[in-house]
Amino acid sequence: MAQGATIAPGLTSFLKSLKTTPVDPSVEHFTSLLKRRQIRSSRPCAIATVALLLRVVIEFKGKDAAKLMERIRQVGRRMISAQPRELVVGNMVRRVLGLVREVVDENADVETNAASDNAHSHHDSLTRPNLNSSISNFSPLKHVATEPTDSNLSQSEHMSDSGELYRRPSLLTSHTSYAPTSNALMVHSLFGLFSQPETPSTSSTPTGHQSPDRKGMLTSLNLERLANLSMSNTTIDLRAEVMDGIKELQDELEQSDELIAANALDHIHSNEIILTHTASTTVQKFLLAAARKRKFTVVHAETYPHDHTATHGILLTGKKRESHQDDEDDVWKPLTAAGIQVVVIPDSHVFAIMSRVSKVILATHTVLANGGLVAAAGARMIAKAAKDHQTPVVVVSGVYKLSPVYPFDIEELIEYGDAGKTVPYEDGDFVEKVDVENPLYDYVPADLVDLYITNLGGHAPSYLYRIVADHYRTEDITL
Amino acid sequence: MSEPPASGLTLSPAPAPPEASINLQPQSNGDAKNAKPAEEAASKKVSPAELKKQKAAEKQARRAQQKAEGDGVSQQKGPPTKETQKQTKDSKQPPKDDRSRPLAVRRGPTQSNAPPPKEIKKEPKKEAKQFGLFFGHLYSQPRQHSVVGASKDVHPAILALGLQYSSYTICGSTARMVAMLLAFKVVIDDYQTPVGTSLARHLTSHHLSPQIDFLRSCRPISISMGNAIRWLKDIIIKIDPSTPENEAKRELLEEIDNFIRDRVTAAGQLISGYAIKKIEAGDIILTYGSSAIVEQSILRAHRAGIPFSVIIVDSKPLFEGKQLARRLANHGLKVQYYLITGAFHAVKDATKVFLGAHAMMSNGRLYSRVGTALVSMLASSQSLPVIILCESVKFTERVALDSIVGNEVAPADELLSESEREALLPLRSSLPQSLRKGEEDELAKGETGDVLKWFDGSENLQMLQVLYDVTPAEYISMVITEYGSLPPSSVPVVHRLSTNT
Repeated sequence: MAQGATIAPGLTSFLKSLKTTPVDPSVEHFTSLLKRRQIRSSRPCAIATVALLLRVVIEFKGKDAAKLMERIRQVGRRMISAQPRELVVGNMVRRVLGLVREVVDENADVETNAASDNAHSHHDSLTRPNLNSSISNFSPLKHVATEPTDSNLSQSEHMSDSGELYRRPSLLTSHTSYAPTSNALMVHSLFGLFSQPETPSTSSTPTGHQSPDRKGMLTSLNLERLANLSMSNTTIDLRAEVMDGIKELQDELEQSDELIAANALDHIHSNEIILTHTASTTVQKFLLAAARKRKFTVVHAETYPHDHTATHGILLTGKKRESHQDDEDDVWKPLTAAGIQVVVIPDSHVFAIMSRVSKVILATHTVLANGGLVAAAGARMIAKAAKDHQTPVVVVSGVYKLSPVYPFDIEELIEYGDAGKTVPYEDGDFVEKVDVENPLYDYVPADLVDLYITNLGGHAPSYLYRIVADHYRTEDITL
Repeated sequence: MSEPPASGLTLSPAPAPPEASINLQPQSNGDAKNAKPAEEAASKKVSPAELKKQKAAEKQARRAQQKAEGDGVSQQKGPPTKETQKQTKDSKQPPKDDRSRPLAVRRGPTQSNAPPPKEIKKEPKKEAKQFGLFFGHLYSQPRQHSVVGASKDVHPAILALGLQYSSYTICGSTARMVAMLLAFKVVIDDYQTPVGTSLARHLTSHHLSPQIDFLRSCRPISISMGNAIRWLKDIIIKIDPSTPENEAKRELLEEIDNFIRDRVTAAGQLISGYAIKKIEAGDIILTYGSSAIVEQSILRAHRAGIPFSVIIVDSKPLFEGKQLARRLANHGLKVQYYLITGAFHAVKDATKVFLGAHAMMSNGRLYSRVGTALVSMLASSQSLPVIILCESVKFTERVALDSIVGNEVAPADELLSESEREALLPLRSSLPQSLRKGEEDELAKGETGDVLKWFDGSENLQMLQVLYDVTPAEYISMVITEYGSLPPSSVPVVHRLSTNT
């Protein structure tokens, strides 16, 4: 990237270049940053995604809400396919889509047309598999295939694809009666307003993809909203309202740490011993907020070999190492400066120390709708050791990390990192003979977590699905 | 001091297999680092009167400190033999600060070359910091990293061994025990009973005890070493005082050889024989760190032609598993290597877990390398059999509930490897002012040694390294000893059997 060359490529340079670059090259830039892992971990990804989507909305010409959504979705799919394990990107795309829908809803009439409702529901179920964004479709290896293709091409492909779908009656459940008679035509005419022309050719792998398991969530209410999209767009200033919404979302991203930290005093009492791991700004701010009033001790597992440098850095300086050239990151004192005693331990010591620990606070990469979470490697054993010692496990996470994805295949969510960090490549003999692994993330199932603290407050893991429902429209769950 | 320090001790940097590595002959190319401070100190030490004064002052300081800490420094664990020689050793030690002492092998080239006096100034603060949490009761004895101030009674072979202990050149509980017994053989061989006393009465209390104390000051004594020492003392006591010295010595040496043969070599054979029966074709055996007996079993199974693969989970800072992985891979085994953070992923793929032990406690708990508990916890949560391979000489009548009361604290600066320190160097610019004060002048060049100073200097921040943890019995499916396979609850029974015979 030309812009990236001047400064170290990363979030800051991307945000800078975004101001001057049009959307499409920016998307390209972002996807390449994602692929090279130059933007990584949840917060930077979220910030970049939202900024990019804001740009998309700004540049969008026209008043058709459906078109705008399709545009967002199209951009979103490209970003997701670039790095499917950063679920936050998908979350943000869904949130923005939800915003658009909300704007439309607010301005729409409530009247519905029964007939069109039927037709729509039919189509929705038809096309949904096409748009499926479950990770298995977007494996990083296939991302080329998921780049949007020429609309002419995809149209022709689409025909065969929908035909394909009809061969799977199980997908259609109640709608089978509408089946093969005039499907091609109907699909075309009715759905054109919504999604067809730009449908990217995910269908280039038509047989491989799974039917989305979340289809059951479709409710007639949502379908009504879809129906309304087309008629409402003339009356409102769609763009301005959506942009306002996105700005609110950006504010939420910015403030989520503070809002989470506001809960700290409800959970940390004096003289507690708290165990945490990796370098997480959310956790640090949470603990700092408590440190203002109370004295306690923090035991910090260093998460060798991926995050130990950041961990040491955050403890010494209060900043992650990666962000130390960023000026946008506000500086805060390290915990130790706030009078908190911090003990750094290697990860192997977790079990030995656990009997003295009174609370475990975990940072997270992504929270999943079932209450499980994906966090830095080592989280699983920390959570399990805590469970075995009856020590409560608290996960702090912004709502933006909460993903509507259900972990049907956990392995897909786990990223494996550079094996050279486990055993340096200089040790060529070793690396050649031994299979060196370096998983970056752990999946922690919901039953090992006692409490989630988000910017909305504290929740039981079992309640997270409700928050998912509050934040994401079911129509958007599959992009 | 019978030993001129310069002709001292080779700490062969290569971690060698247990028995073979014990180099009892003093070699000429002594480690300069160890030698130099020794010389310095030797020249400093002048008169006994001064020594006494120093000793008294030190004692007082220590007492005051303990009082301030309030939590009374408890005694270091060890075998039930506390001998009087300890004082002399204490008095001759340089000030209680293990950082001021050169820390030979594990340290890279940049380790503390700082002049000791400067360090001593900082001492009170640092000690206060260390004594803070969890393991305050274990910090009482700083580790000995040189021959400085060793009692003159300590045999050169023991001096060499002690340094090998403290630098982890010899580690692993069996290896340490065997090495100790072999060194004792040399000690006994060189021993001459003074006139007017008998070998049985004099050897233990006056000649072996200083040796043991020195070893203990290098690194706390392992359970197996304690068991072996107790056994040796028993044997010595039982010698008929009328036996001629030469014969008694020969008998003793023979006994030691037999002990090693019976309790280690033969036991190892038996245990690996039992263990390979547990390895089936297609198994994926997971092990943690490196255990000699697990390695032996795996290699035996491999030689027997059973097709299986191995997952090795390893951890900072010693990375013993890396050596094991290398050796196994060289034998043609398929080996996967994880660090402890990826333990769950490793356990998920495995079918059986084989672990070595530092000791088996009488309440069925396993006392072993720190991290073992995590691995066995994850394994048992995945319903994998967790099999402990352990010679009965490592069984102890001690019990433990958690890993905190009895443990061994190791110097925390071992935790930051050279590369890690390097990675932290760019942080210099964002360090809080208080930490940067001392080094304004040398801002330009990055010294990896500075990173340690940051950690040292930053108040409230400390690193902690302990060596062992205690694995609850419920995670353990089976303990294989030379007496056969048993559940962890049978450990005390076997311990009685093995000590009574």
